[in-house]
Amino acid sequence: MAKDDLLQPARRQFTLSSLAMAAAALVPTEASAQATEPAKPAQATGPIVQQGVSPRLTVHALDTYHGTPAAGLRMDFSKLEDKKYKLIRSVVANATGRSDEPLLIGDAYQAGDYELLLHLDDYFASKSAKLPTPPFLSKVPVRIRVVNIAERIHLPIQFGPWSYTYSRGS
Amino acid sequence: MTGITTHVLDITTGKPAAGVQVELYDVATDPPTLLNNTKTNADGRTDSPMLPGASARTGQFELRFHVGAHFKAPDGLSDVVPVRFAVFDAAQHYHVPMLCAPWFFSTYRGS
Repeated sequence: MAKDDLLQPARRQFTLSSLAMAAAALVPTEASAQATEPAKPAQATGPIVQQGVSPRLTVHALDTYHGTPAAGLRMDFSKLEDKKYKLIRSVVANATGRSDEPLLIGDAYQAGDYELLLHLDDYFASKSAKLPTPPFLSKVPVRIRVVNIAERIHLPIQFGPWSYTYSRGS
Repeated sequence: MTGITTHVLDITTGKPAAGVQVELYDVATDPPTLLNNTKTNADGRTDSPMLPGASARTGQFELRFHVGAHFKAPDGLSDVVPVRFAVFDAAQHYHVPMLCAPWFFSTYRGS
């Protein structure tokens, strides 16, 4: 089924727009990131189920310090080419802590080594978190390898000022 | 105690990860400067600190854990896991452990 999706752009588009609608419905309108106040738990943001969607790489960043999605977190997404990480694009996590679009999807979802550089220093500075200077974690590289492009990879990342965890999710 | 130490635990077995290659780089330089390159012992630690107390200093450092070679999982999520962090007070000890499985990686400032 996953392979069929790749071969049927129309069907994929339908899946995508359904996802986008579902996501939009879940995002409270007042949830835009505010720099000065601590973020409120976005408990109106429910889980987004991706079971059965076409192969893709998606990310979900959660701030375990505030107990919220990492809305506003900048992530630089790069691919390893000729021993250097080459920027594909820089994304900012939306109110649900996800990138608006998958990091990779369709023909762009290729095997290889990738890096997500998390701008945790800017993120916690925007939350006015009291941390040492420089903070323990600043620009944090998360490096992953895509091997089987027939399978999608969801990358959940949980972080605080002193720790982070990432894994293969679903 | 000061300096930088680490501890690698394999959460798939619940045991220390022995024989894992771990490197320490100074990443304030371009390119990064290799400061230490060693392997974990039977307890998942390194026989001597990654950065000995006598060399303790502030700066931007990166530990690199060669987990791919350890787990040998063909579809493992990461091959070499970097942990980039700052030492902001050289008088403090920085223990930076790695809890890992082929598809899960966790690190924190430990003690």
